Amino acid sequence: MKGIFSVLVENKDGVLSGISGLFARRGFNIDSLAVGETEKHDVSSMTIVSTGDQRTIDQIEKHLNKKLDVIKVRRLEETRSVLLEMLLIKVRYSLSNRASLIEICNVMGAKIVHLSATNMVIEFHAAPDTVEEFIELVRSFGILEIQRTGVIAMTKG
Amino acid sequence: MNGAQAMIKCLEEEGISLIFGIPGVAIAPFYEALYHTDKIQHILVRQEQNAGHAASGYARISRKTSVCVTSSGPGATNLITALATAYADSIPIVAITGQVDSSLLGRDVFQEADMRGATESFVKYSYLVRKADDIPRIMKEAFYVASTGRKGPVLIDIPCDVQREEMSVPFRYPEEVNMRSYKPNVKGNAQQLAKVVSAINHSKKPLICAGGGVILGNGEEDVREFCEKNGIPVVSTMMGIGVLPKAHPLYFGMLGNNGKPYANRAVASSDLLIIVGARIADRAVPRPENLEQQLKVIHIDIDSAEIGKNMGPTLPLVGDVKLIFRALIESEIHVDTREWVERLEEYKKSTVDRRRFSEEQVNPMTMVQTLSEKMDDDAIYIADVGQNQLWSADNYVMKHGRFLTTGGMGTMGYSIPAALGAKICEPDKQVVAVCGDGAFQMSMNELATAAVNHVQLKILVVKNGYLGLVREHQQKVYDGHYSAVRLYDYPHYDKIAEAYDMDYVECGSNEELPEALDRFLACEKACLMVCHVASSNVVI
Repeated sequence: MKGIFSVLVENKDGVLSGISGLFARRGFNIDSLAVGETEKHDVSSMTIVSTGDQRTIDQIEKHLNKKLDVIKVRRLEETRSVLLEMLLIKVRYSLSNRASLIEICNVMGAKIVHLSATNMVIEFHAAPDTVEEFIELVRSFGILEIQRTGVIAMTKG
Repeated sequence: MNGAQAMIKCLEEEGISLIFGIPGVAIAPFYEALYHTDKIQHILVRQEQNAGHAASGYARISRKTSVCVTSSGPGATNLITALATAYADSIPIVAITGQVDSSLLGRDVFQEADMRGATESFVKYSYLVRKADDIPRIMKEAFYVASTGRKGPVLIDIPCDVQREEMSVPFRYPEEVNMRSYKPNVKGNAQQLAKVVSAINHSKKPLICAGGGVILGNGEEDVREFCEKNGIPVVSTMMGIGVLPKAHPLYFGMLGNNGKPYANRAVASSDLLIIVGARIADRAVPRPENLEQQLKVIHIDIDSAEIGKNMGPTLPLVGDVKLIFRALIESEIHVDTREWVERLEEYKKSTVDRRRFSEEQVNPMTMVQTLSEKMDDDAIYIADVGQNQLWSADNYVMKHGRFLTTGGMGTMGYSIPAALGAKICEPDKQVVAVCGDGAFQMSMNELATAAVNHVQLKILVVKNGYLGLVREHQQKVYDGHYSAVRLYDYPHYDKIAEAYDMDYVECGSNEELPEALDRFLACEKACLMVCHVASSNVVI
């Protein structure tokens, strides 16, 4: 199963390494991890996505809570949260298929942020599953490079 | 007031009157400030690891946070094993390590080691102090964190220039700690508590498994009162030895691989296992998944991350052992356990110990039994690691004293420095360290510390000329291929005793044993005793 954790932490040195070290040491997976400042400058927010069985996901939550620099841990349910991930992808094109690539971008709501003679850099943000779909849609054109931010999440309501 | 003076002042505010350590250039301002106070005594140990172990012994006996100090680089890294040991056993220690000047951090200069990074997984929390003004807050927090919730070591790494830096504000030791990210839950959830009471009332064969957490939480008397009031029998883990005296009618021994067969049988035939302050690691319960299918498990622990880590409980209850057992004592519990306890007594009586020990030289089981019977009622026994630890845990006759050992990390060489700390804490109590000849040689340098400070240590070396527990493992698993385990007959123990002004007792047979132990225990001076044990003796 998938575990999505929204973790508020003290915004100070060593905290990120402490959290990532915890995952490494106890053999928990990190599928993605995104960190940034919150509305309070001394608090950072981490969104951590992990996979494991129920016991592992429970243990992750407990061990996150045990960390002294962790202020709050929330486990997010996919259906009750807004999940968003940003993608930068560099895709090769030719004159013959350029129009269809642009059409895919238009349909999916992706933005072409740079165009060169042979490739384009596309910016796309959506729920993680949709990001996966988008990557599959453009794969046949030839992917040169992918950068993903990892998921950030917020509860609805 | 500079940073170093502020640190000394903070220690005084915390009521610290004694610290263990070794100075160095990077911690020199601290030692300069220490020189000018007469409120704090410093014990100079001979290797930094032992400063940590001595602080551990002191903390366990005083039941308060204890302090050790080292310099930077190798002095600090030497301490890491002791921090890991204290972390595994949840012992409250504040470790202060000197660090190179702030401006040099990260440049790999002489004696620089990244202590925060290196100890990340071995301490409960750590600080790198950036400015002198932060010292009072950090020291207050460090002592608070070390001694509350699940206790453990806290590291304060302090660059030399911060120790020298003048504070820009007047010194004020905070009265309260304000950490929004650390609020240990102590008072057990009332709903969960009610469920626990109901589970006990619905059980026919309840059993308490007491771990080291009961002792760390000062809950021995409360657990004892609870089980006596309701007739609930108790087994313990190795770290839980001492929750009940050995002769207590409701005590049924230590469980686990190296424990009493009747204790394991009690666990297997109970219908409700109440685990208190124990992590249920592999040595105590080899296959917890089998157990959790068979019976209902209540797990009481101060650390919620401990619950479900090794075993899925039916009913978790997070909180302080003392508060929870006070609440349980007040609760309406009616459970008739007479038949169940009778059955456990039968198990105990019908258990035949089939282990055979060499009659040549000293029988190690008899040795531990006789020694502990002869020891004072409130004596402190410190078992090292190896065969001696398992013989000790298995045969120790607990009265009303303390049994200390390192159950989590299993650090060889722990007993001598820990005994040093324990004896300095309680000079009027009998303190006996029992170790093998392997462990003895890992920390015999501290005999000098004991001599200089007139600490009347009693050290009993169970000598078989081998790293015995490894030898036993090689005998069973590797067809007796004894690889790199032989210690031979060095050192000459009589000469070691003489070198450190200790009395010396040697015993080579069961016949001599009682008289030799009497002499050992009666010594006024520090005493080293060697019991010769046949290397063929095994634990299981």
